[in-house]
Amino acid sequence: MRYVVLVAILAVAASGCGGEERQTASAPRETAAVASCPKAWKAGWQRLANDVGSLVYCPTWMPPEVDAKIDGRFRNGRWVDDDKSYLVSFLWLDQDAGVSREVHVNFRGYPGRTTIPTCESTHSVEGKTIRKPIPCFSDPQPKKRRLGDVTATVYTANQGIDEWHVLYAWKRNGSLYTVSEHVVSPYAYSQVIQNLDRMTRGLVALEPNA
Amino acid sequence: MRLTRRRLLGSAAAGALAAAGIYELVDQLAGSPQRSAAAGLTPEQHLLDGLAVVVDSDVEVTVPPLHHEVVTATLRTGTGAAALQEAQAELEQALRGLDERYEATPAGLGVTVAWGLPYFRRHVAAQAARHLPFDTRASATAGKRVWALESAVRFPSDPPDTILEKNDVAVLLRSDSLDAIADGSEALFEELDGMFRVTSVRRGFVGGGFDGSRSLPKRMAMAAGVPGADLIPDAAELFLGFTSTQKAALGPPRIANFETLGYVDLRGSRYFEHGTHMHVSHLFENLEAWYLNFDHRERVDTTFRPGLDVPVDTLTVPQDPDDVQTTADVSADYRATRRIGHSGSIQPSSRLAETVRGPDGTVYAKGTAIPQRADFNTLDNPFFWTANKQRDGYAREPAAGLHFVTFNPSSDDFRRNRLAMDGVLPDGTVLPFEPRSRGQGFNAVLQTTHRQNFLVPPRAHRSFPLAELRA
Repeated sequence: MRYVVLVAILAVAASGCGGEERQTASAPRETAAVASCPKAWKAGWQRLANDVGSLVYCPTWMPPEVDAKIDGRFRNGRWVDDDKSYLVSFLWLDQDAGVSREVHVNFRGYPGRTTIPTCESTHSVEGKTIRKPIPCFSDPQPKKRRLGDVTATVYTANQGIDEWHVLYAWKRNGSLYTVSEHVVSPYAYSQVIQNLDRMTRGLVALEPNA
Repeated sequence: MRLTRRRLLGSAAAGALAAAGIYELVDQLAGSPQRSAAAGLTPEQHLLDGLAVVVDSDVEVTVPPLHHEVVTATLRTGTGAAALQEAQAELEQALRGLDERYEATPAGLGVTVAWGLPYFRRHVAAQAARHLPFDTRASATAGKRVWALESAVRFPSDPPDTILEKNDVAVLLRSDSLDAIADGSEALFEELDGMFRVTSVRRGFVGGGFDGSRSLPKRMAMAAGVPGADLIPDAAELFLGFTSTQKAALGPPRIANFETLGYVDLRGSRYFEHGTHMHVSHLFENLEAWYLNFDHRERVDTTFRPGLDVPVDTLTVPQDPDDVQTTADVSADYRATRRIGHSGSIQPSSRLAETVRGPDGTVYAKGTAIPQRADFNTLDNPFFWTANKQRDGYAREPAAGLHFVTFNPSSDDFRRNRLAMDGVLPDGTVLPFEPRSRGQGFNAVLQTTHRQNFLVPPRAHRSFPLAELRA
């Protein structure tokens, strides 16, 4: 028997991919690439731009199984910090006889800053948790990817909710933006790169409403 | 009708030995490195002559043969002295035929015949009791005589289902030419009539892009489409990225011989002089975990030593005697970072603590590496072919892994090194890592499936050792 489940948890930001709360989702669908933020998704992304008071990027295409409706059924979380940095996460999880398939995409923005944020590495030794500050995005690849208006740096070793993801990061007007996707079945690394290329190429900038 | 070797093998094993499978790509993807000629056959079976040395990132690197194959088998010979001695003569004749056709170099064919404890116990038990060398350090620790060849054990970071094998014999074939390996394999396992029951065929490759081109492991992994292949650095000698055959990281010729370092008591006999010990294991490598879950800083920390400064695009890191870590260094690293480096943690046991003069007068300086590694990457899952698919967990899909082959003076010497990799240091210090903790780096992404120890007799006794002493 096949189960299709959605995961929506707040704790996921600290623990990486995964979750607890499950909802039934309808069959996945692919969205077509369009030149503007899709109507069904726009309201959520516009609200996000308004909340952070800065430009955000709305995707026009998402990898099959998920869409980018922030309040939709693939929502995995939407967080806005005091400094107006944000994280929007979409997740589809399919468990079939113990074999997991997952599509997990994260969008981040850091208005007014371009530095790589700092995360904590933690590992347990003799019951003690050892913490060490490390960059949240590491191992930039030598070749940048030019995709539409975006020139992205590809990071392959990332932390927190972006762990085991490939992450594209770019700067615009003094702010840092990222999109990442989990390398996990059904998408191998090369397919994740293709997905990220297509997502990034289709991003549409949304300014906050006055 | 006489039962021929081919009939006994059956089409499956014979077909596996004859087929190159995906490894045929190695010949298409890599040209043969320049090799020098052999100086003649050495008394040691395990030494290869003519190994090229290149300089990469100002470090001397030994260039191993491109192709490797290990064939394991049990014996089909009778257990009587006459049958055993007849087999001994037949195998020796076949080996001499290969010696005549090929130099013992990567340009020719390196053949190493190694024997497991089941052979010594089942076929030459009384002779083994009198002649098998003892391990002096293990004997002192145990308070009783311990052979230099012991059964393999599972280590703290091994999964509980790691298979400890019981083969009679293993043959290691090494060459830059796939045809030479196929010829060697055929001469030993197809043409010898009913001598062996092949239990596994294991294949692989190694070869760095030291000339700036894309390396063999990268190309093979990409061709096979194994997860994480895209993440392997283009010039990586091995799947995990960093070069591992620095000349200074490999034991010099004869250092791993039984007689060289005094680790082994030959019991007043010269029978096993110029022999050594071989450990063979297979492990899967989770490349995605290594490259997506460990950043460059953590990969360097846990491959070499915490805090070592290695530029991002540098894959070959010096491993000279001056770079060697002591037990105190490793313990201090652990206290400060809760991490140890793979090579750094092994060095207190794998490098000479003091300068040693060998029985032939060769001086081995303090810090010299002892193990002579012959490990190679593989796409076997876990073997190219196995007689027992269910037990071995065989699958047709390629999987990134390593056939780890190393020559040490004894089983105990290998055990000391491998324990150090798990944080059990030679002075008895135990660094309390959880099994496969990421603080141990490699161990977090490796999964060992099989292990076995073998004794490598000198060339003079490579065929059915001790059989001629049976009455």
